Amino acid sequence: MSFSTELMTGAVLGGTPILYAALGESISERAGVINLGTEGSMLVGALAGYAITAESGNPWVGLAGAALGGALLSSVHGFFVLWRKTNQLATGLVVLFLALGLTSLFGVNYVQSTINSFQTIDVPLLSKIPVIGEVLFQQTAPVYVSYALVPLLWLFLFRSRPGLYVRAAGERAQVLTSYGRPVRLVQMLAVIGGGALAGIGGGVLSTAYTNAWFENMVQGRGFVAVAVAVFAARSPFKVMAGAYLFGGAFALSPLLQVRGVGINQFALDALPYVLVIVVLTVIGRRGTSPAPEGLQAVFEGGASE
Amino acid sequence: MSTSTTVTETSVGAGDAVGSDGSGAPTPAPEPDVSVEESARAKQLKRIGIGLGRTLLAVLGTIVVFAIVIAIKGANPVDTYRALFNSIFHNSNAATDIALRATPLVLAGLAVAVPARAGLVNVGGEGQLLIGGVAGAGMALAVGEALPGEVTLVLILVAGALGGALWAALSVGLRLFAGISESVTTLLLNYVALDLMLFLVFDPWKDPNASGQPTSRPLPTSQQLPVLGNGRIHLGVLLTVVVLAIVALVLKRTSWGFALRVVGGNAEAARRAGMRVGPLLISAMFVGGALAGLAGAIQLAGVEYKLRPLFLFGFGYVGFLASWLGRHQPWRVAAAAILLSALVIGGDSLQIDSGLPAATVNVLMAILLLAVFGFTGKKRAA
Repeated sequence: MSFSTELMTGAVLGGTPILYAALGESISERAGVINLGTEGSMLVGALAGYAITAESGNPWVGLAGAALGGALLSSVHGFFVLWRKTNQLATGLVVLFLALGLTSLFGVNYVQSTINSFQTIDVPLLSKIPVIGEVLFQQTAPVYVSYALVPLLWLFLFRSRPGLYVRAAGERAQVLTSYGRPVRLVQMLAVIGGGALAGIGGGVLSTAYTNAWFENMVQGRGFVAVAVAVFAARSPFKVMAGAYLFGGAFALSPLLQVRGVGINQFALDALPYVLVIVVLTVIGRRGTSPAPEGLQAVFEGGASE
Repeated sequence: MSTSTTVTETSVGAGDAVGSDGSGAPTPAPEPDVSVEESARAKQLKRIGIGLGRTLLAVLGTIVVFAIVIAIKGANPVDTYRALFNSIFHNSNAATDIALRATPLVLAGLAVAVPARAGLVNVGGEGQLLIGGVAGAGMALAVGEALPGEVTLVLILVAGALGGALWAALSVGLRLFAGISESVTTLLLNYVALDLMLFLVFDPWKDPNASGQPTSRPLPTSQQLPVLGNGRIHLGVLLTVVVLAIVALVLKRTSWGFALRVVGGNAEAARRAGMRVGPLLISAMFVGGALAGLAGAIQLAGVEYKLRPLFLFGFGYVGFLASWLGRHQPWRVAAAAILLSALVIGGDSLQIDSGLPAATVNVLMAILLLAVFGFTGKKRAA
């Protein structure tokens, strides 16, 4: 495989956990709730996915558990933010702390264990296409599921009634209220759904990418996912492109190391985060990613008291 | 309002303790012949009573919920609490340990609190602390033995503060320049700062004589913060107390402190009143970053003497929590930082005494914060 093909394959594989999490965060933000606890939901998902796969022997059962774990953690965020009116950014970080503690408490037993992880499946015919086939169709099953999820989420958000409620909750909550729809419930469901997707993202990370569990293994991917959701304007197809971009940045360092390229490892490790900031700056300057009205208040609102 | 909150609190599971709040809950019928002054005082007392009752409830609820988590894990909650308590209170070194641990934490908390006054969310304490340490170590390397130790020491502290300040100002600059939320950029820059420090420690600044994990070269004794008496408390602890007092005074008494509050309360109104919001935001973050950077340099010159991969690991985030726990009021933030230091130290001993990972204490901290955020203090409007 050529270097560029290998890099693109790595971008899709490494970008998929970010993709799931960023799609989840997009739903949550569409409803007007930013969830920095996405990092925490990924962490819980990574452990739940790994542990349940280790116990059951079936990575699909693991992913279901990952979704449940991510959803449970985000429901804590949703409860405090929506019902107790706590600050969204601070609460998200506290929820992350909760996840850090819980996963290291319950994860110690699984550090050494091995699992029956997701294997690469070559899609018949399609995988034979030069380059595209290698990059897109010689992947694991959760990657293929994500290909379907992106258009489905687009349909949900922009062509379905529940999706309309979600967007209305973030943009014009009063309208929803005047139609007799419970705004908070819609927002809560969006946060929980987003957390479930972030959990799956974490589960994919541990059962199809690293094939291991270790403390704090998400390493900022959840924060990157939040940033991707922001600059992709919470739109599923753009989120997909952004996720693969950063998947590529995360994949670059190990690829170059294997080839013995003389660039310092830590300079490469910093690349994804620097890249996010640069992309955010460029897009922010062009002013093309308006946040839902409900979110602007969070970002600009008074943090004091 | 008091009835509705009592109802929600009951439903959360701390219900068994609700009775202790009873003193504040039933409103006494106003006596007809009480003077206005007296009733105002009674009202104030009642408010304080309710506040205390709620805080007590939050703490009790935290203890119960954490005990449940520990029990689910299969450990004995009573033993765990005893181990936590003993390591904090039945340990002759505890006061020193807490003071040393709280010193960078107080500054890291203030680094969040000052920008928060202006409505900025600084989640970058972690990175600003590291950059402070890196800038301090860099200054020490650059100066070498060319200057007297005391002068170099001052330069190290100044470099640390300046490094942290510039690192933090970068985020608010990006907000003003490109409209990116500083909460996102400060977070991402934490990882960049960590990689930068690791690069230096593993490569150009690596101490060739160090065994085990790589570190930078230790500061010569003349450039270290002097220790008070025979103990381990260094001059940086005192310096931190002084800085804390100054920050509290500046925020409360100067026009700058007032302007920050106005901008934080309503940026649009501040702009219309002719305040220059941009420079105010930059200055708030600059000062915040300087405080964190100073903490990094103090830790370098007072405790660690060299950079290592886990230098001040996690202090930035705990400082963030301390600031929110103290509602961004300097003295309260410091109290919260001391409380959290005690918990973290207790957490370290959990590993030894109960075999639970040290990070377990994060669960306790998170539950406490959620309880305090959600169930005490003023309720903000939706």
